[in-house]
Parts: sequence; C-alpha cells; structure tokens
Amino acid sequence: MLSWLQRTLRSSIGKKVLMACTGLGLIGFLIGHLAGNLTLFADSEGEAFTHYATTLNSNPALPVVEVGLTLLFLAHIVLAFKVTRENREARGKGYTLRNDHGARTPGSRSMMITGVLILAFIVVHLIDFRFDKPELEEMSLLAGMVESRLSGTVGFLIYFGAMVPLTLHLSHAFQSALQTLGLNHPKYNCLIKVVGRGLALIIGLGFASFPLAYFFGGNA
Amino acid sequence: MSAGHDSSSMKLTLHVWRQKGPDDEGRFEIHRLNDVSQDMSFLEMLDVLNEQLTNEGREPVVFDHDCREGICGMCSLVINGQVHGPVPEITTCQLHMRKFNDGDTIYIEPFRAKAFPIIRDLATDRTAFDRIIQSGGFVSVNTGNAPDANALLVSKQNADEAMDAAACIGCGGCVAACPNAAAMLFTSAKVSQLALLPQGAPERDARVLAMVGQMDAEGFGNCTNESECQAACPKGISVTNIARLNREYLRASLVGKSQ
Ligand code: FES
Repeated sequence: MLSWLQRTLRSSIGKKVLMACTGLGLIGFLIGHLAGNLTLFADSEGEAFTHYATTLNSNPALPVVEVGLTLLFLAHIVLAFKVTRENREARGKGYTLRNDHGARTPGSRSMMITGVLILAFIVVHLIDFRFDKPELEEMSLLAGMVESRLSGTVGFLIYFGAMVPLTLHLSHAFQSALQTLGLNHPKYNCLIKVVGRGLALIIGLGFASFPLAYFFGGNA
Repeated sequence: MSAGHDSSSMKLTLHVWRQKGPDDEGRFEIHRLNDVSQDMSFLEMLDVLNEQLTNEGREPVVFDHDCREGICGMCSLVINGQVHGPVPEITTCQLHMRKFNDGDTIYIEPFRAKAFPIIRDLATDRTAFDRIIQSGGFVSVNTGNAPDANALLVSKQNADEAMDAAACIGCGGCVAACPNAAAMLFTSAKVSQLALLPQGAPERDARVLAMVGQMDAEGFGNCTNESECQAACPKGISVTNIARLNREYLRASLVGKSQ
C-alpha cells in the first residue's frame, strides 16, 4: 500500500528531497533562533532576553517542538552520512589527478566537513545552554550565562569560529535545496542564488555578532 | 608523417592508465612522444602512440572512439584531471594538440565510476546508460504513414528546450566529472527531451519512474548540485534539466497515475 512512498523515499531523488526539506526546516529554525537571540541587544540589563526566554520556556508546546527539531536534525545528519557513503561507493577507485571544471564553490565542495563541524558545535552548544539551562523562575540568569561563556577566550573562539562552517554550509544549502525540489526557473534563478548567499551571510554574521559583542565590547 | 615542422612539432610525456581487465589493479605507464603535430586531434596523438608501441612489439593502449567528429559520444578520457580535456564544450576527439605545449606532461585516465567498469586500459563499459534508455527513454508509437507536418503543435520555446536536451550524446562525461558519480544530467536530458513534447506525454509518469529506478539500480551516486556535470558536458546540457527531472519524478511519484 505504501510501496510508492517507500520507493520514492529510497530513490536517489527522494533522499535528496528529504535532505532539502529537512535542511530548509533547519534554516527556518536558525532564523527564529537568531531573531530570539537578538533581544540580547535590546537593553543592557537583559530584560528583553529574559522575557523572551521565559515566554519560550513556559510554552507547553516547547517539548513537542524540541522533539520535532531533534528529528529534523537527526534525519538531515543520518541521510547526509548515508548519501555521502553511497556517493563514495559510486565513484569506486578515484582519480589520480583531478581538476574541477570550475563549477564547485567552497561551500558546495565542503558540505560534509562543514556539516560535521556544525554538529560538533551543536553538541557543545547544547551542553552549554540546553542541558544546563536555569529553572523557569531564574531565567534572568541566562543572559549572564551567555555573557560569561562568550566573553571568555575559549567560548569566543568556539562561538565565533563555528560561524565559518555554518556560513559556508548555508552558502550552498538554500539554492541546492530549491534545485532538488525542482524549483528552478530562469526568472528566479539569479534571485535564488542571491537570497541563498544573502541568507548565509545574514545568519552567519548575525550569530557571530554575539561572541564579537561580548568578547570585544565587554558589555552589549 | 611530417617530421621537421619545428613550430608545430611537440615533445610530450604521457602518463597513460593501463589496466588488463575489470579486476586488474591498473597502473600508470609513462611514454614519450617526440614528434606530435599541433594539428593532430588528441585521439590521433594516441594513434601515434599506439603505432610506436606496436613497432616496439608492445600492446597498444585500448581507448574508446568511433565517429571522431563529436557526435557519437563514444570517446571519453579524463585528461590532466578534466573530462574530455581542458577545452569547454568539446569531446576528446575534437580536442586538438595545439591546446598543449611542447614539453607538457599529460595524465590520461579512464572515466571512473562503479557503474562504468573499465574493460581495458582507457575503455569503459557505459552500457548502464543504454539500460536507462531501455527502461523508458522512448515513446511507443504506431508506425504507419508519416504524420503531416505541424499536425501536432509544439511551441517554439518547448521545441528549443527539447532540442537542447536532445543534444546529449550520452558520453558519460557528466558521471565522470560529478564528484558523486551521479548520472542525473544524462537521465534528466533524456527525460526532458520527451517530457517537453506532446509525443512524450502519454508515458510521462511511467517513463520518469522507470528511468530513475534504473539509474539508481545501476549504482550511480546521488546529486548534490555541484553543477560540475554542466561545466564538463561537451554539449553544454544545462542543470535546468536536473531540476525538471526532480519535478517530473516528484509529480509522477506523488500524484501520478501509474501505480
Ligand atoms: S568519437 Fe564520436 S564523439 Fe568523439
């Protein structure tokens, strides 16, 4: 009964469509996450951020959203490893000498490496602020936790450094996802490329602004 | 053989891939050619090498070729790491030695993909492409009198796009150039040329499902939209066709009528 769905999802195109959809979902998450974090810059006492964090954490739907988000990440990661392994096998013995024809970009050629680096960062980031997050009544402590983590040298290097692979990953991600979904049209191709790279820069610089502000500014 | 054309005569060092059969390890063999004319095509240069090898009583290098005029898709080769050599939008048989310099070292390797096993030396078995075509890359028609011209109207736009897709000569360069050894550019061109025309409409869904199924079964890789295939294609086939293939496949899978 479901054989058509199984066949679709197991096909090369089906796997790539899943990669594209989960990836687009994760881009959506990043935009929301960045927007929320920007409340840190709203006032120097961190009131806006505390309000945001309290509202978010008191929402009973949060655990459901977190489970959904975890599934999105897991599907994207598991598929990435599967597809990469299959692609290596499809080549077999590789070329002794290889010169590209000029179409690859730093982002496109490094998707697996940047993906793994982002994953490593996410583990650190979850340990820092998810598993260690304060109780609901003490959310006002969170802004201080962020500040002390990001103003230290190690914290700065991790939180700033991780934005390099993220930006690279995103620079290929958006347009690649749309192409996989078949959304390609001469009227929009240029726009899609610009929006993809623009998104990568905005998200990358946006998140990088926090370690920069705390490390160099002392106080946001 | 015209020896002594100093300005057009080149000395070359070739690193040529030699492999006795599909299961042989394979290795590079180094050969020197002392009098290569700039007017030769790359394949003619290999002919000269083979003549030299035969005269020395050694086995000539096996390589694929047929028309030698850029239309059959039989020639292949990865030359200095690039599919069909360094010049865009031409096949190896159309590559001329004037694109190289006196004293150059040239690496010559076969197309590498698990789905294109090496038969011997530089010759590869690309019948996987034939099987993809056999699975659905055709239209079933009643043969009879030829229909009147323009009995079936095709818009200029669609005719042009179908014609561009039909320029694919099935050489397999896209697979060889793809970092993932994917066959998406080939399959998408073959699906597109029929999907764009009214004659292709009746079998549209079944065709794309069967051809993608066969493509996967042959062991090609998964497309990651690097566009190296388009850059390497001797016929300039566009990755726009890949987007169309993705659309066609999703449409046929999700809302198509065939099972
Ligand atoms: S030999 Fe026919 S295309 Fe090169």
